[in-house]
Amino acid sequence: MKAYKCLILLVLILVISGCSSWGVKPWERDLLAQQKMQLIAEPVEMGLDDHIYFSKEGSSGGRSFGGGGCGCN
Amino acid sequence: MTKKLDKSKAPLGSTLAAIGCALLQGLPNQVQAGELEKWDVDAAVLVYSESDSRVQAAEPVISATRNFDSETKLNLKLVLDTLTGASPNGALPSDQPQTFTRPSGNGSYTTDAGEIPLDDTFRDTRVAASADWSAPVNRDWAYSVGGHFSSEHDYLSLGTNASLSRYLNQKNTTLTLAGGLSLDTISPEGGLPVGLSPMAEKGAASFSSDFAASRSGSEDDKQVTDLLLGVTQVINRRTLMQFNYSLNLADGYLTDPYKLVSVLDQPGGTTQEYRYESRPDSRIKQALFGQVKYQLGSGDVADLSYRYQFDDWGLNSHTLEFKYRWDLGRHYLEPQVRWYTQSAVDFYQPYALESQVNAGLDEVTADYRLGDFDAWTLGIRYGYQVTEGQEAYTRLSLYQQTTGDFSSATTPASGDDIPDTTAVMWILGYKF
Amino acid sequence: MASPCELLMALPQERKKQAEQLAHLAAKEVWRIEKTYSRYRQDNLFTQLHRHPDQPQRVDAETARLLNFADQAWQLSEGLFDITSGILRQVWTFDGSDHLPSPDAVKALLPQVGWGKLNWQSDTPTAEGEVAGGWLTLPSGMELDFGGLGKEYAADRALGLMMQQLEAEQLPLSSQPGLLVNLGGDLACSGPADKGKPWRVGVESPAEEDQASLVLEISRGGMATSGDSRRYLIHQGKRYSHLLDPRTGWPLEDAPRSVTVAAPSCVQSGLVASLALLQGSGAKVFLQETGLKHWILE
Repeated sequence: MKAYKCLILLVLILVISGCSSWGVKPWERDLLAQQKMQLIAEPVEMGLDDHIYFSKEGSSGGRSFGGGGCGCN
Repeated sequence: MTKKLDKSKAPLGSTLAAIGCALLQGLPNQVQAGELEKWDVDAAVLVYSESDSRVQAAEPVISATRNFDSETKLNLKLVLDTLTGASPNGALPSDQPQTFTRPSGNGSYTTDAGEIPLDDTFRDTRVAASADWSAPVNRDWAYSVGGHFSSEHDYLSLGTNASLSRYLNQKNTTLTLAGGLSLDTISPEGGLPVGLSPMAEKGAASFSSDFAASRSGSEDDKQVTDLLLGVTQVINRRTLMQFNYSLNLADGYLTDPYKLVSVLDQPGGTTQEYRYESRPDSRIKQALFGQVKYQLGSGDVADLSYRYQFDDWGLNSHTLEFKYRWDLGRHYLEPQVRWYTQSAVDFYQPYALESQVNAGLDEVTADYRLGDFDAWTLGIRYGYQVTEGQEAYTRLSLYQQTTGDFSSATTPASGDDIPDTTAVMWILGYKF
Repeated sequence: MASPCELLMALPQERKKQAEQLAHLAAKEVWRIEKTYSRYRQDNLFTQLHRHPDQPQRVDAETARLLNFADQAWQLSEGLFDITSGILRQVWTFDGSDHLPSPDAVKALLPQVGWGKLNWQSDTPTAEGEVAGGWLTLPSGMELDFGGLGKEYAADRALGLMMQQLEAEQLPLSSQPGLLVNLGGDLACSGPADKGKPWRVGVESPAEEDQASLVLEISRGGMATSGDSRRYLIHQGKRYSHLLDPRTGWPLEDAPRSVTVAAPSCVQSGLVASLALLQGSGAKVFLQETGLKHWILE
């Protein structure tokens, strides 16, 4: 089961890197350069959320190394 | 060949900025110099309030980023977290009032009949600081290193992390490999409880020796190792995607030292005693995470993410989150919705039976956070661009967990007897 | 370059030597760009490009960047910004008189105007966005004109080279002295003269009667002015600006006399100012849409 999931990820990586029509020219990065288009657009908000969810739920992380570092109740 | 005019027009200002930069390739420019002169600060406070006078927290945070050039930066972050209120102690409600010894062994608290037992001893202040540095290695590679420190009266965490990124396809694809290591020390109030030992009863003549028998040492530790493999892909001018696979290994003391388990005489029967919970001393979590960001022609941004996490404790969870940032000139509104569901860990039961304990049960938790539940978060964020480079923002969100009945042949329980959380979160912040 | 040029540097007296070196570097760069792209020389890249019409010619990285910029500006302006429109000056002379060319003379030149008519193939940029060069095929009779962006480009380049030099001398961008390049009113500035004290620069006022200077404050970025006190025509009470609509070959009516724009770089300022004038009476709305700081003289 776990090996199977890893395989999916690998296939995804291959699909992504194999698709050359994706992507933009350097001068077309105007929109992507905006703060609101960053994957983590609001790091402070995300940090606060991660901390709450870390202390109230059985899962954490996945996006980056969010949460953790506390003995939360 | 005749060129065609592209009629799909981007916002003028941003397009101009992009083409101007390409023309002056390779030279430092005045824009960079301007951006570099200062720290970007984001200061916010979170007020978190659970219903039924449970946990109340206030969490001020200040994050400062210094950009040395477009790809080199240092981020420093300081978080203060003050917490008061009561938290479910793991025991089941009863038709009799229940008295619990405080974790410190000093004093006790009583829960009314029919109420979910809450330990009201919590009062804690946490201080956390972190520093992260990221910089390019050369044109194709970049790295980051960081460290964190977090301290409360019964918990200390020290950690470090690092990442290496490789750019491909004109930086349209980024592969990232990241790792982290955290060393945590737990020194619970009243010492470390012995897993599954009976809670000493305050009134009993043998309390002192009972309490001593339920403790072993004053502190323990755990190590958490994180590994993350990520791919970020630019799809087009408006669309960005990310996939991560992550592995989280925790080793050491993973039990919650303040959580109890009610021991009943029979399924749905009467509480006989309380024992301290006990969890395995290792946990391996794996997660798959995907995110898509898309900017609409209006400048609005849609952000969809999904996480599937599974671990060797038997917990599976799905998290789906959607945010839509609605641009209104200098203002924006961002509705947010998050749905979360998890299945219980294998050793979760709302209570234990005497027969199980006698048969040598060695791993059990009644902590609802490791049980089955669903959770919704609904929120809205509002931001206002005060001046160029300054933004005031606020966010209000509502968090609601719902727990169903626990169906099991040995330890069935009604969802009403299992705690869940309803909370209001309010963030107020300013960026400058 | 027939306009006064100056360099301002916020350096203490004892660093006079360094200032001289920087000035030398900047001046050399400005002259190099002028020499390379001037229409008035016979021995430069510009002339060479026009010597072989209808044939694909390899161009160097810098020219490729300029052509890419021109291409994007053309796209962005829906054909209004066009570096092939300089040829129209054969029939238009903006000398303040009321002498308009005949519509037929203008029409006869139009087939030789239009960026869309030439073939420009830029090399694929590297991950860093650098292009190594490209292939240009210039149909015979067509002419490129870098006059619309050359001076601005030179200002940005001169400033950038000085900043790079300071960086090479272990001076990080954040602690560099403020520098200002002024090429006849086209400005590029790396930082204020002193903390919180912007440079004050006199820009020639476009008002015809008094030649008093307009004093503008700039602490960082670029600034450029389009429109000119001496380059216009007045016909039957109408003022014609010297910027021509490449699609018709005629000037725009009701354009402001001059537009000054402050953008992150000088080329951007110059482009926006030109585009604004080309909007005619829509200049004001256009400038507001860009969100950039601007000054309009009606």
